[in-house]
Amino acid sequence: MTEDTFRLMGRTISFRAGESIAAALQAVGVLTYGPDALGNETRCFCGIGACQCCLVRVDGVVREACITLARPGMSVEPMERRNA
Amino acid sequence: MRDPDILVIGGGPAGMSAALEAARSGLAVELVEQRESLGGAIYRQPIEGVQVIPQSAGARGRWAALSQAFSKAAIPVRFGSVFLGVDGHGYVLVENRQNGLVECLSPRAVVLATGAVEHVHPRPGWQFAGVSTAGGLQVMMKETGTAPRGSVLLAGSGPLLIAVAAQMARLGNPPLAIVESGDPYRRIMPGLSMLGFPKLLAEALGYLKDIHLHRIPWLRGSRLVRIERQGERFSAVVRAGDGSQSTFVCDRIGLHDGIRPNDYGLPQASSEAAAGPVILRAGDCREALGAIAAEADGRRAGRLAIQGVAASAADDIGKIDRQRRAQALLARLFAPVDDRSALDELADDTLLCRCEGKTVGDLRNLCQRVDSLTGREVKHNGRFAMGACQGRFCAANTAALMARFKPEAPASSAADLTGRRWPVRPVSIGALVRAASRDNDTQ
Repeated sequence: MTEDTFRLMGRTISFRAGESIAAALQAVGVLTYGPDALGNETRCFCGIGACQCCLVRVDGVVREACITLARPGMSVEPMERRNA
Repeated sequence: MRDPDILVIGGGPAGMSAALEAARSGLAVELVEQRESLGGAIYRQPIEGVQVIPQSAGARGRWAALSQAFSKAAIPVRFGSVFLGVDGHGYVLVENRQNGLVECLSPRAVVLATGAVEHVHPRPGWQFAGVSTAGGLQVMMKETGTAPRGSVLLAGSGPLLIAVAAQMARLGNPPLAIVESGDPYRRIMPGLSMLGFPKLLAEALGYLKDIHLHRIPWLRGSRLVRIERQGERFSAVVRAGDGSQSTFVCDRIGLHDGIRPNDYGLPQASSEAAAGPVILRAGDCREALGAIAAEADGRRAGRLAIQGVAASAADDIGKIDRQRRAQALLARLFAPVDDRSALDELADDTLLCRCEGKTVGDLRNLCQRVDSLTGREVKHNGRFAMGACQGRFCAANTAALMARFKPEAPASSAADLTGRRWPVRPVSIGALVRAASRDNDTQ
């Protein structure tokens, strides 16, 4: 069986069909997805698309990681790109 | 494609039963759901190949009946679609996230069934990654069939905490402890009155049995007062009723201080809108009473949507009233033991608004001005309730703190801070502009 994967900030993440981005990341122990607009950690908080703490760019479009399905080959990036 | 007569927003128990009821009239009904599956947070469906997490027999039966009736009715569902609001012309704006387009619909009636959000008191350190709501941990368990990993501390108040703890235990990772600010064992009268609600009581006892079997400490009358980073982990400071403090080292923390309607920014309910559709609310977004009441309230709203008049069936109203009494009892059962409010002792650097990074101290400074600020002014001057979550996780706490900082000023409500404006969810300007130009083309 070939596993489905997507990319998070250059890292390859496996997921199971039907999983949200946040669930797939939690399954591999990733709890923070880069800086948000304030420079804080992007992270899952409410899990139901209400709190907007897990906003990421999915193939460039801003989406909540907790309610967006993971799809093969998608690219997940933080809201802001900052030079550390 | 023809616009539906009745558009239902939200695919949880309230929305599904509203759509079912409305569809019995033969009118064209459609349902809008933000995710790719129905059920809402309460009946969040597992991904393929994953076992459903053990739920009470009552909940299993309710979902089986509702989902079967819904698929039989063949009501069209717009999956992956997010309700943005009702604009000045009465168009209902829905972002279809599958194609990135904002659709402008003109139904005759809209039933809003956007559910509840958890109430969470601010605590120092609640913004760290790895700290989430207890309900957030629970929906992840429902979706993936796995408990959160590592050592997990649950804290706050209410029956949801014991449900999450029992479900974690059944999935093989019981939490370190449950920190509960109330003490149901000391509340004799509401405890006895729960005997009038045998189904809820049986569900609670089932959870407590698992908590007992797995020896999960249920620290009643205690509060989580501070979360600190300790390397990759957290150290969580818990204060017991006698004032003694203890520290838990853990990997994840789940917070929960109750639920409230997810009604932020929603248009006001109306039966005779001057322009645009009739707008109704159903389920937890109207009054947060849980899944049983939500289903009955959905039927009520579904009937109102087809009739446009205030006719309701007595049995649904009876069911809703009964759940209202149950929730009031639960609130008394889990009332905090400590009379001091959880908001009273917050240090000034405690984050209050998570989206904009505004603190308790920022609010204190605003409230110390000579002129009293209204909720709306606190929003505009201080950016509270202005961020991406639209105040869902700070407006109620901010309003409560304003009353503490300036008791002599007129009290503000959460709605004073948030206002009532669309879009209720972030949407790209590009998608809105494309929708507007399509609209112009057709005029």
